[in-house]
Amino acid sequence: MREKVMEILTDLRPDVEFETEKALVSDNVLESFDIIELISRLNNEFDIEISPKELTAVNFDSADAITGLVERLVAEEEE
Amino acid sequence: MEKNVLEWLERAADKYPDRVVYEDTEESITFRELLLEAERIGSALAVRGLSERPVAVMMGRGVHTIAAYLGIVYSGHAYAPIDRTQPSTRIEKILKLLNPEAVLCDEAPEISVDGAEILLYDEIKEHEILQEELERIRHEATDISPLYIIFTSGSSGRPKGVITAHHALMNYIRAYAGMMEIDSSDILCSQSPLDYIAAIRDIYVPLLKGCRTFLSPKEYFMQPGVLFGMMNEKRITCIGWSTSALSVLSRLGAFREGKPEYLKKVCFSGSVMPGRVLREWQEALPEALFVNQYGPTEVTASCTYYRIDHRVEDTESIPAGVPYDNYKVFLLSDDGGRVSPGDTGEICVAGSGLALGYYNDEERTKAAFVQNPLNKVYNEMIYRTGDMGSFRQDGMLEFHGRRDRQIKHMGHRVELDEIECAAMAAEGVAEAAAVYDPVNETIRLFYSGEAVLKDVVVEMRRSLPGFMVPRKVKKLDMLPRLANGKTDLEKLKGLT
Repeated sequence: MREKVMEILTDLRPDVEFETEKALVSDNVLESFDIIELISRLNNEFDIEISPKELTAVNFDSADAITGLVERLVAEEEE
Repeated sequence: MEKNVLEWLERAADKYPDRVVYEDTEESITFRELLLEAERIGSALAVRGLSERPVAVMMGRGVHTIAAYLGIVYSGHAYAPIDRTQPSTRIEKILKLLNPEAVLCDEAPEISVDGAEILLYDEIKEHEILQEELERIRHEATDISPLYIIFTSGSSGRPKGVITAHHALMNYIRAYAGMMEIDSSDILCSQSPLDYIAAIRDIYVPLLKGCRTFLSPKEYFMQPGVLFGMMNEKRITCIGWSTSALSVLSRLGAFREGKPEYLKKVCFSGSVMPGRVLREWQEALPEALFVNQYGPTEVTASCTYYRIDHRVEDTESIPAGVPYDNYKVFLLSDDGGRVSPGDTGEICVAGSGLALGYYNDEERTKAAFVQNPLNKVYNEMIYRTGDMGSFRQDGMLEFHGRRDRQIKHMGHRVELDEIECAAMAAEGVAEAAAVYDPVNETIRLFYSGEAVLKDVVVEMRRSLPGFMVPRKVKKLDMLPRLANGKTDLEKLKGLT
């Protein structure tokens, strides 16, 4: 799953080092329209629905955090 | 007669000394504190002796940055805010054009500033107030003295510094605050970066009206729950945001889980508002006033407004509206003649709201700020916006796109050829063409050559602000051509 998330992220922003970046939202590395695109791709790829309350720096500041969010939502979908 | 915006500050500090005027996430400042801080900064700069050169400001998003701007105004200079998060090559270009007297910073900058003195805010903020010197400077100023220089995207990769005088700023702020019915009880929330034209509302309306502005951090606009939570905690009543900020929140589903409860007045500008986005906001805030604004930085933020008086349809196009008080807005045909009623022409603006031109750029100033070709009998300066429009029968201006390749993206005017220049700077790029997809608000870049995609993106990041870097980049064997040899941009727009 992390691999697929990384693929989406790198395609979205080839200039960002997602392996080391830990403040994607807090430091405004991502712009708001990156987030829109990212959510739309994650929703489609993993068949989940990221709700507005999940849109926080904690959930989106790093590739690991994003993977964690996706894993949680996929598990919730399966329940 | 009021002729200097500092008169507003002094009057407000006299009337509401202990009221908070600006607040950020860490601290707040009252009108009196703001006045004293600005006078101290002004005095510190004044003792260095005056030239005509501006003072650049490279500071973060906080209340003291505004105090720095006003301090520079006290010293008789124009202030030039520079976004310190943009790439250093672009900052260097701007500083070269500006040739500032000094650069006021809150931390030592990493870039080189030839010929300008670096001043650290903390080191001059306690300076003794030299009342007589400040009075002398004020006495020598007029209402056409320059107030600020704000940079916008320019073609060929050369940013343009729009220089604006006190009277133009005061003219617009009075018209805006009056139209929005803002009074001392309002609480504004600032979305715009402080170096950008839209911030003049958030900075100067409180000085005129005695109200308060909260400076929202940029990252809140990616976190709708956090943003609305803050707006409710601060009891925000009035916003003047970019259309794209409203549209981003709508696309993120912001209203599914909350809304800004106290918000009564919403103004938006910067690009064409889609009917479905406005409708969603209207449904979430049925009691609120919604206003569309239109106009470029060169006429001091905006020249027309439209107070929306009905629930709009999803596909409705929202007009640019009617001229603000003391603005003259009219159309010219391609050959500089009159346009028949209902026909499309170039939108032109005259009146007190016009900027003084582009700083240190006579060529581009003379091309855009010209004598009204319809007036052969006396000097009448007009600004040719490069935007196309028409007037409806009821007098409403409608916007119909550009004469050239400038686009409006995330609230900013962007020259597509500035983006192409940046891409061409990457090694191994033979040709580059940028096109805009307005439906998805995406800048797309096509290029040919040996360069790998990542290197092209990284190179563009080195010279362009983040919002200008294309998010869809594609390599082609060669770019499609028209019969005349030019790149076929229409064909590129159709490629997926």
